[in-house]
Amino acid sequence: MPRDLLLEVGAEEIPASFVEPALEDLKRVFTERCQQARLAHGEVRVYGTPRRLALLVRAVADGGQDVRREVSGPSVKAAFDAQGKPTKAAEKFAEGLGLKVEQLKRAQTPKGEYLAATVEDKGRPAPEILKDVLQQAVHSINFKKSMRWGDVELAFARPVHWIVALFGGEIVPVVLGDVRSGRTTAGHRFLSPQPIELKEPGQYADALRQANVVADIPERKKLVSDRVREAAARAGGKLLEDEALVDQVTNLVELPNPVVGSFDERHLDLPPEVLISEMKSHQRYFSVVDGQGKLLPRFIAVSNTPVRDEMLSLRGYERVLRSRLADGRFFFDEDRKVPLASRVEKLKRVVWQGQLGSYADKVERFRQLGDFLARATGLEGLGKTIDRAATLCKADLVTGMVGEFPELQGVMGREYARHDGEAPEVALAIFEHYLPRSAADGLPTQDAGALLGLADRLDTLCGIFGIGKPPTGAADPFGLRRSCLAVINITLARGYRYSLSGAAARALQLLQPRLESVKRKPGDAPVVDQVMEFFRGRLKALWGEEHRTDVVEAVLAAGFDDLVAARKRLQALSQIVGRADFAPLAVAFKRVVNIVEKQGKDVGKGAADANKLTDAAEKDLHRAYTSARGKVTELIRTDDYPGALREITQLKPAVDTFFDKVMVMAEDKELRENRIRFLTEIGSLFNQVADFSKIQAEP
Amino acid sequence: MYFQDLILSLQKHWAGLGCIIMQPYDLEVGAGTMAPATFLRALGPEPWNVAYVQPSRRPADGRFGENPNRLFQHHQFQVILKPAPKDVQQLYLDSIRAFGIDPLDHDIRFVEDDWESPTLGAWGLGWEVWCDGMEVTQFTYFQQCGGYECKPVSAELTYGLERIAMYLQNVESIFDIEWVKGVKYREVFHANEVEMSRYALQESDPEMLFKLFDLYEAECKRLIDRDNPLPAYDYALKCSHAFNLLDARGAISVTERAAFIKRVRDNARRCAEGYLKLREKLGYPLTRTAWTVGQQPPVLEGKPASEYWKTVQFNVPVEKGV
Repeated sequence: MPRDLLLEVGAEEIPASFVEPALEDLKRVFTERCQQARLAHGEVRVYGTPRRLALLVRAVADGGQDVRREVSGPSVKAAFDAQGKPTKAAEKFAEGLGLKVEQLKRAQTPKGEYLAATVEDKGRPAPEILKDVLQQAVHSINFKKSMRWGDVELAFARPVHWIVALFGGEIVPVVLGDVRSGRTTAGHRFLSPQPIELKEPGQYADALRQANVVADIPERKKLVSDRVREAAARAGGKLLEDEALVDQVTNLVELPNPVVGSFDERHLDLPPEVLISEMKSHQRYFSVVDGQGKLLPRFIAVSNTPVRDEMLSLRGYERVLRSRLADGRFFFDEDRKVPLASRVEKLKRVVWQGQLGSYADKVERFRQLGDFLARATGLEGLGKTIDRAATLCKADLVTGMVGEFPELQGVMGREYARHDGEAPEVALAIFEHYLPRSAADGLPTQDAGALLGLADRLDTLCGIFGIGKPPTGAADPFGLRRSCLAVINITLARGYRYSLSGAAARALQLLQPRLESVKRKPGDAPVVDQVMEFFRGRLKALWGEEHRTDVVEAVLAAGFDDLVAARKRLQALSQIVGRADFAPLAVAFKRVVNIVEKQGKDVGKGAADANKLTDAAEKDLHRAYTSARGKVTELIRTDDYPGALREITQLKPAVDTFFDKVMVMAEDKELRENRIRFLTEIGSLFNQVADFSKIQAEP
Repeated sequence: MYFQDLILSLQKHWAGLGCIIMQPYDLEVGAGTMAPATFLRALGPEPWNVAYVQPSRRPADGRFGENPNRLFQHHQFQVILKPAPKDVQQLYLDSIRAFGIDPLDHDIRFVEDDWESPTLGAWGLGWEVWCDGMEVTQFTYFQQCGGYECKPVSAELTYGLERIAMYLQNVESIFDIEWVKGVKYREVFHANEVEMSRYALQESDPEMLFKLFDLYEAECKRLIDRDNPLPAYDYALKCSHAFNLLDARGAISVTERAAFIKRVRDNARRCAEGYLKLREKLGYPLTRTAWTVGQQPPVLEGKPASEYWKTVQFNVPVEKGV
C-alpha cells in the first residue's frame, strides 16, 4: 500500500535567501532519483523556515516498478558452430544475462535470425530505494555559501541538528555529517522547546503549527503580508508595499508577529529614501505612509516571538532605529557642508575597474559619449544639462551617506545637487541616469537622465567586453545583462533613433587609451561585434517572450542597429505572420532567398540589367518590383512597416509566376547571372524588413 | 545590572562550562579576534576553550567622547570554543539569560552575517545575534585563519559589552553606563576618549607611523625567518595598529590601502604558519587532554576534520575567499 514520506533537515538558522533555492534542489533531486529507480509517488510538497528544509511526498509506492525489456545478442549464424554447438559469443551473451544458452529465444529480424531474451528488471523495495534517494538528496543541496562545523568535513549552510526521515511510520536511515535520521523534530526555538515525535508524515504541518511554527512558505508569507498590513492600519496609515522585504522577512521567522513602533517626527525632513533605507536595509522594518503616500513617523518590525510584554521589546526596536536615524542625520548634515561639485576631484581616487580606471575616468568618457548621443538623437539642445549632470552624477559615491547606504546612490546626488542650487533638470538627471535600478523600477522620465544612463551603460558594456571579461554562464559581475536590457528599454521607451553600433564604436574610441594594452587572441571578433552579438542575445530573449522566436530571428537577421525600427518591423511582421495567407508567401520568398544564398556569391555585384530580362514573367516581375521598391522605400522612411509589408506581399503572384515560368539557372551565363542579380535585388528589398528565410512555415 | 556585573556574569557562565578565563592581551588590537588567544589558537587540531575581555582600539572611530554610540576604545567579551560544541547556540542563549535577557521577553534572532578579515586572511560564517532588532553579539564559525582551513572549526562569540550594558541599563549614551554603583563610564573613560581621539585624529605623526610600520614589518619578517613566530606575531599586531592609526589620519589613499592590508596579511599568514610548525614540533600537546566544553557530537561519516593536520604541508597556505 502506498505510504507518505517525510524528509526534514533541521539546522541552525539558515540565511533567508538560501531556503527556497535549497528546497528546489531537494525536490528536483528527489524526483529525478525516484524516476531513475522507477519509484512512483504522488504530490511532492516543500516546507521551509530558517530552521528546517522539508519535503512531504504523498503516496509513495511500495517499490520500484518491474520492467521487461527485450535484448538481442549475436546472430544465430554466429551463435552456433558447424556442429550446432554454442559459440563463445553465444555463451558470453547468455552468461551476461545470467541464463543458459538453451534458455535463449530466437528473434526474427529483417537482417536474419538472432539470439534474444526477455529480461526482467525487478524494482527494488521502496525503503531500500528511499534510503539511497534521501541520502543523495540531502547531500546534493547546493548552497550559495556553505560551512563546516565541529570536527566534521561535511559542509552545509549552517550546522545540522536533526533529520526526520519517515516512510509511513518507519524511519528511513539517513546520515548527514554528525546527524542520523529519526522521527524527532523541533518546534519554535523559544515557545515550544520540547522535542516532537512524529508518528507519520501526514501530521507534519499540523504538529509544527501546534509548536508555533508555520512551516508552509506561501502560508507564512501571506501571514506576514496580512499582518503587517493590519499593523500599518493600527499605526494609522497604510503599508509602504515592499514585496522583496516580505519575501525576506518570511524566511527570517517561523512565526511572524508584527510590532508597531514610532520614531521622532523631526526626522521626517530627511529624504524619504534615507528613512526607508535606514529602516529596511539594516533593520528589516516596514515603512508606513499616509493616504498621500507620505511617510509617517511609524515602522513595523516583524518579530519571531510573541513576547510576554510587547512594550519591553518595542523599546529595543525604537532605540536601535533612534541611533540609526541619528547617524543618518549626521551624514546628511555633514555631506551638505561640502558642495557636490567639490567632491568630483575625489573620484580620481575611486577605482571603477582596475584596467578601465577610476570613476573620474569613466565620468569623462560617458560625458563625451552623452554629448555624442544627444547629437545622434537630435537633442543637442540638452548638451549643457547633460554635461553638468555627467560631471556631478557619480560624486555622491564619496559622500558619507552613500558610503553607509550604497543603494542611495543617485538619490543623494539629486538631494545634494538641489541643496547646492544646481538646476532642477540637472538634479533630476543625476537621479534618473541610474534608472531602472531593478527589473521592477521605472524608466527615466526626462531625456538628459535617459541619455546619460545610455552613455554610462554603453561605456560599461564596451569597456568590460574590451578587456575580455564578458559574462560567462551565471557569472555577470558587472551586471552587463541588466545594463544591456536597460539600454534597449530606455531607447525603445523614449523612441531614440540612433545607430547602436555607431554609439558602441564611439564608446570604444573613448575607451581606446585604456584598451591599447589589452592582448587579443587572433580569432577574436572585433569588440563592437561582440557587443552587438550580446545585444542580439538580449533582444532575442526579451522579444521572444511575446513574439514567435522565428519571427524575432527573422527581424534581427535583417539588422537591429536602429532598435526602434527593429521593433516596428517586429510588430508589423508579427501581425501578418499568423495569417493563413502568409505561409505560402513565406515559401515564395524563401525560394528567392535560397537561390540568392546558393548562387549569389559567384555572381558579381550590381543591379540587374532590365533590358537583358527576356521572358514575359520576369519582365512582369521586374515591373512589379520596380513599382514596389519605390513605395516600400518611402513607407520604410516613414516607419510604415505594415504598409511596406503589404507592398511586399503584393509581389507574391508575380514571384510565383516567375518561378513557374522562368528557368533561373539558364545555360547562358550572362542570362543566368542577370537573373540572379535580379533576385538578389528582390531579396534585399525584403531584407529591409526581415530575413524571411528564417520564418518557419508551420510553427 | 552594572557594567562590571555584566562582565562577571559572562565570566562566571563560561568558566562554569570549563573555559579558561584569559586576561586581555597587552598590545593594541582592533578586535578580540586579533589576540593570539583567538587568531593563533583557532589554527591546528588542538582543543581550545577560552573567554576574555579585550579592550579594542579603533582609531578611526574616535569621536572625542562626543558621540553617544562610538568610541576610540570599546570592550569586547570574546569566547572561543574549539571544536565548536554542538549545543553552542544553547550555551550562548544561557549566557544572555544569565544577565537578564530572556528570549520569551525579547525577540532574539540569529541573522545571517558573513565575517571576513582581509588583514588576517580569515573568514567565517554565522550570524549577528539580534535582541529586539539590536545586534548584541557576533557569532562566527571560523572557516579559515591566516589562509589555513580551520579543522576543527572554532565558534567565536563576540559580545559588544557597552551596547549590551546600555540596553540593560536603558541609557542613551555609553558615557551614562554605570560601571559600579555610583561610578559612570564617563568618569572612567571619557578623558581617555578625548585624549586618544585627539592623538589618533590630530596629533599623530604620520611620517613616524610610516617608519614604524616599516620597522615593525621588517622585524616581524626577521623573527619569522628565525623561527620565532610568537614575538613575530606581536610585531604583526603592532604593524596593524600603525596602519589603523595612519588610516584614521587619512594618510593612506584608497589605492594604497589594499597594498598595506596585504602587507599586514602576508605577515599574519607567515606567523600562522610559524605557529603551526611550532605546535607540530611540540606534538600538539593539548590534543592529549580531554578538554571539552559543551556537547561533542560523534563523527558519523568520513574522518574527523582534525586529521587533516596529519598530512598538511606548512609551506603552501591555501588562499580562498579573501
